[in-house]
Amino acid sequence: MIYAVVGLLIGGALGFLVPFGIPAGYSSLFSVALMACMDSVFGGIKAACSGTFDDKIFISGFFTNSLMAAFLVYVGDRLGIDLYYVALLAFGLRIFNNLGFIRQHLLKKH
Amino acid sequence: MQLEKGRLSIACVCMVLGFMLVIQFKSTEDIRASQPSQRVEELAARLHQAEAENKELEAEIRDLRGMSGDAKSEKITDDIMMISGMTPLEGPGVIITIDDSAKKAKMENDPNLYLVHDEDILKVVNELRAAGAEALSINGQRLTANSEIRCAGPTISVNNVRSAPPFEIRAIGDKDNLVNSINMRGGVADSLKVWGINLTIQPLDNVWIPAYKATTKYKLATTSSKEEETK
Repeated sequence: MIYAVVGLLIGGALGFLVPFGIPAGYSSLFSVALMACMDSVFGGIKAACSGTFDDKIFISGFFTNSLMAAFLVYVGDRLGIDLYYVALLAFGLRIFNNLGFIRQHLLKKH
Repeated sequence: MQLEKGRLSIACVCMVLGFMLVIQFKSTEDIRASQPSQRVEELAARLHQAEAENKELEAEIRDLRGMSGDAKSEKITDDIMMISGMTPLEGPGVIITIDDSAKKAKMENDPNLYLVHDEDILKVVNELRAAGAEALSINGQRLTANSEIRCAGPTISVNNVRSAPPFEIRAIGDKDNLVNSINMRGGVADSLKVWGINLTIQPLDNVWIPAYKATTKYKLATTSSKEEETK
C-alpha cells in the first residue's frame, strides 16, 4: 500500500513539474483515458482483496484499457458518435461497483 | 498476501495515474482561469472607449457653452450643412475605382458575374461607412441621407442621376482604416477579384467631394413636436 501512495505522489510531483497541459481539443480523450486508468486501479484493488491479483493482467489491463478507451472515443468523434459519454458511464459504473466490493470486503475482514 | 507480489507494478501504475490526474487538474484549472481574464480585458477596452467618448462630449459641451448665441447657431448650421451634404468637403481619404471585368466570361458562368452591380457599389459604400468615412460620393454624386444606389439597366443611378462604369467612389476619412476595410481578407475586394472586377484603391492626403446638387423638398413629411410615438 505504501508503494502505491509513494507512486501516486511521485507521479503527481512529475505532473506539476511538467510545463505543458492537455490541449483543449484532446481533453475529452484524456479524461476518458483517465477514467479507464482509475477503473483499472480499482479493479486491481478488488482483485487483490479477493486474492486473484495478477500483476501481468493488471499492468496490461491498465495501459490497454486507457489507450483503447481514448482510441474508441477518437474514432467515435470522427464518426459523429458520442462514445465519450458511453465510456464515462461504463467506467463510472464499474468504478462504483468495485468500490462497493472493496468496502464490503474490508468490513468483513475487520 | 497477493498484493506484495506486484508491489513494483502497482507503484508504476500509481505513478502514471498520479501524473495523469495532476495533468488533467492543471488543464481544467487553465480553462477556468482563461475565461474570466478575457472578459476582464473586453470590459476594460469598453471602459476606455466609453471614457474617451465621454471626454469628447464634455469638450463639445464646453465649446458650445463658451460660444455666444450667434456663434453657436453658426456652428450648428455648419454642422448641419456638412451632414446634409450641402457644402463641398475636402480632407484625407481614398478614391476607389471599380470597373467591369476584363476577363472573358467562361461558358458555364453567368456573364452578369463579370459586371459591376449596384450591390457591389453598395457593399463598398457600406464597408467605407463602417470604417468611419465622413463623406462619400459616387461619380460626382454626393451621398446624402436620401441617396439611393440602384440598378438602372446597364447603369447605376445615384441621386436619380445615372452613370456607367468605371465608378469612382470618393471617401473622406482615416486613410488606413478605409484602405484596410476594403482590402481585408475575405472582404469586398477579395470577393470582386474572383470575377476579375477591377477595384483599385488610392489613398490621398486631399480628396475633394462635391456638394449635393439637387434640392431636397419635403412634400409630405412635417416636423413633429412629439419626442416619442404615442398610440
